[in-house]
Amino acid sequence: MRSTKMSPRGRWSAITAVAAAAALALTACAPPGASNDGDNGGDTGTLKVGYISPVTGNFAIAGQEMVDGWNLYWEINGTEVNGVTVETIVEDDAGNPETSLTKAKKLVELDNVDMVVGPLLANTALAVAAYTSTVDVPNLHPVAAADDLTQRSANDFTVRTGSMSGSQMHYPGGVWAADEGHKTAVTLCPDYAFGWESCAGFSQGFEQNGGEVVAQYWYPNGTSDFSTYVSQIQSAGADIAFVTTAGGAPGPDFLRSFFGLGLGDSQELLMNCCSLDQATLRALGDEVLGFHSVSNWAEGRDSDTVREFNDAYAEKFDGKIPSLNVAGGYMTASLVASVIEKNGYVTGADLVAAISNIEMEDSILGKAKFDEYHNLVAPVYIREVKKLDDGKLYNTPIETFEAVDQWLGRTPEEALALPNYSQDFQGLE
Amino acid sequence: MNRTRITGGVVILALIALAIALPYIGATSYILSLISTILIAGILAASLNFLVGDGGMASLGHGAIAAASAYGVGWASKAGLDTGTQVLIALGITLLVSFMYGVLSMRTSGIYFLMVTLALGMVVYGLAFRLSSVTGGENGISGIRRPEFISEYWTFYYFLVGSFIVVTVLLWIVSKSPFGASMRGIRDSESRMRSLGYSVTSYRLGAFMISGTIAGFAGLLSVWLTHFVSPTSAGIHRSILLIVMVILGGVGTVFGPIIGAAVVVLVENVLSNSVERWPTVLGLIFILVILFARAGIVGSVIKLARRLRPGPNSEPPGASDDPAGLAPSSGAPVSERNHTA
Repeated sequence: MRSTKMSPRGRWSAITAVAAAAALALTACAPPGASNDGDNGGDTGTLKVGYISPVTGNFAIAGQEMVDGWNLYWEINGTEVNGVTVETIVEDDAGNPETSLTKAKKLVELDNVDMVVGPLLANTALAVAAYTSTVDVPNLHPVAAADDLTQRSANDFTVRTGSMSGSQMHYPGGVWAADEGHKTAVTLCPDYAFGWESCAGFSQGFEQNGGEVVAQYWYPNGTSDFSTYVSQIQSAGADIAFVTTAGGAPGPDFLRSFFGLGLGDSQELLMNCCSLDQATLRALGDEVLGFHSVSNWAEGRDSDTVREFNDAYAEKFDGKIPSLNVAGGYMTASLVASVIEKNGYVTGADLVAAISNIEMEDSILGKAKFDEYHNLVAPVYIREVKKLDDGKLYNTPIETFEAVDQWLGRTPEEALALPNYSQDFQGLE
Repeated sequence: MNRTRITGGVVILALIALAIALPYIGATSYILSLISTILIAGILAASLNFLVGDGGMASLGHGAIAAASAYGVGWASKAGLDTGTQVLIALGITLLVSFMYGVLSMRTSGIYFLMVTLALGMVVYGLAFRLSSVTGGENGISGIRRPEFISEYWTFYYFLVGSFIVVTVLLWIVSKSPFGASMRGIRDSESRMRSLGYSVTSYRLGAFMISGTIAGFAGLLSVWLTHFVSPTSAGIHRSILLIVMVILGGVGTVFGPIIGAAVVVLVENVLSNSVERWPTVLGLIFILVILFARAGIVGSVIKLARRLRPGPNSEPPGASDDPAGLAPSSGAPVSERNHTA
């Protein structure tokens, strides 16, 4: 009954809508300021940096470490380099790509930053890099490992400054395992892009050098009980097991099951950066002495640069030893500083080009340079857990693969023609 | 009553004029992109609001419908298809997914409906996450371009304002139609409607298809805004935030969804710039609204306005006794009168 009375109002709304549409059609001329020339204020005395990291949510620990590494560098060396002051605005994205993107827009358009650093997770990193490249703002990645950042989505404004691509970082692990005389391998990686890439890296390194991957297992994110996976590894009976995690609880959780089922002494094991990082060493102590892992960061490397970095971090954070996330943030800061030192204030594609031209003889990550896709070319270390003189456990390099690039023994063109890695495609013949 | 209606009309026209004028009076592209985010979230919340308000069906999988449509566009764009085909594929996927949702859930109600839609949402999320050859897995699909005619940020903004108005009017018309009245009838007493000869399940399915199509449209718009899609958009977190938006704004009100969307988006993207514990703030706002303004922000404002203006403008006796959003069992129905907002 009431609905019949409403119909004039329905007509009214229709008229309103038409009027609105007409108004839209009439406003077909660009508003002032629509032409964005990408000019960021023009103050050459300050380099404004927008730093996006998940400092709340599930990835808060890694996100905070990434920020700590960056801040640590500027605290040690001062924020003024060659007459340019580096000013940092930290934004939280909680690991959500849509928030990352809004924060990146805020930093670029409201704060007029000269560059964006971060974020941490692969999908957030890809989203932000796609945006910053359209507005000509450099985007530096201290930790994000997604292959595509410097492969299929590579551009002149995106550079991976502190980490390696997922497959690149683990490829030497496979080479090493084959060189050690292992004939067969079984792999266990998390079931998403990072895991597929890391297992693809190891498997290709292993098979290219005469080994055979007999079985591959995948665990979903959020797995805490690894006993079924450990028994699968046991029954696979391979010479060596390769296990990766993206950090956090899965590393110690896996190892507890591994020890619990008595494989500690019988099964040869190679882990990665983040499954055998300092958090795992602190959690498990002497039990993991002598365990092997592959990473582009080795806190126990015998080098003054690394020792200074470790000491500075320990002094600030209750004697803790820095992780790969901290190292990535610190490395990124040192690259930015050395660009300003040499060229003064630069931004845009020039900044990325300047970073890519840097060759560091002894950075905290070792001898480092960049390829033309703006990806880090640096050493990858096979590390062993050792107790050093101060009584603490360190991942100490036992073998170093110098100048590892992201192409896994292929040419860039061949590598880029391949599909993305997945469970079904590991780049094997 | 007439005065209220005129005031309402003037306010709406003023808001539309303001929305059109914004780019010319100094709103930067950042502010416009923030408003665009709110408008898209508002459209998505409005689709859910229709389902909850008129149908009494609270879906916990609506974010996933939008995401399915977004993945359709993403996949088509990656495959190099043109814009028209991309939109058609998105529409096809939306209809298919909505139909699946509708068919599997239309015989349930209340908590069971919630569970079925939650499960279907998780299926979409799982596919997005694991079917990496199509969806790009955790990395998602990036580099999706807008069509040429709305490629500028401000033309797209106007497109969104227009879309929002059209969707709001459409939903309002549906809600006022005999179909909407039947939906409310089913919401309030399913058995009575069935005994009157209504096919309850087909009405429910129809409502779900309408709501799902609009959700899919919002998904398409969100891809055009952000240029990428990742499994996060299909996650349970997104769908829960949608429910929060609807309840914050006021279930069953015309402008509740956009207000709720504005609150959530602003807390998530602006407040988080200065307050590290922004999720706590969002939670507190939600709790306060539930405790002290159960009809939501818009619903409570309407109630308050009515209470402040007694006399000839007041409700006919009886109608005002049923406070919005407090009727039993069916989730959160609301008196029809709220639609005059």
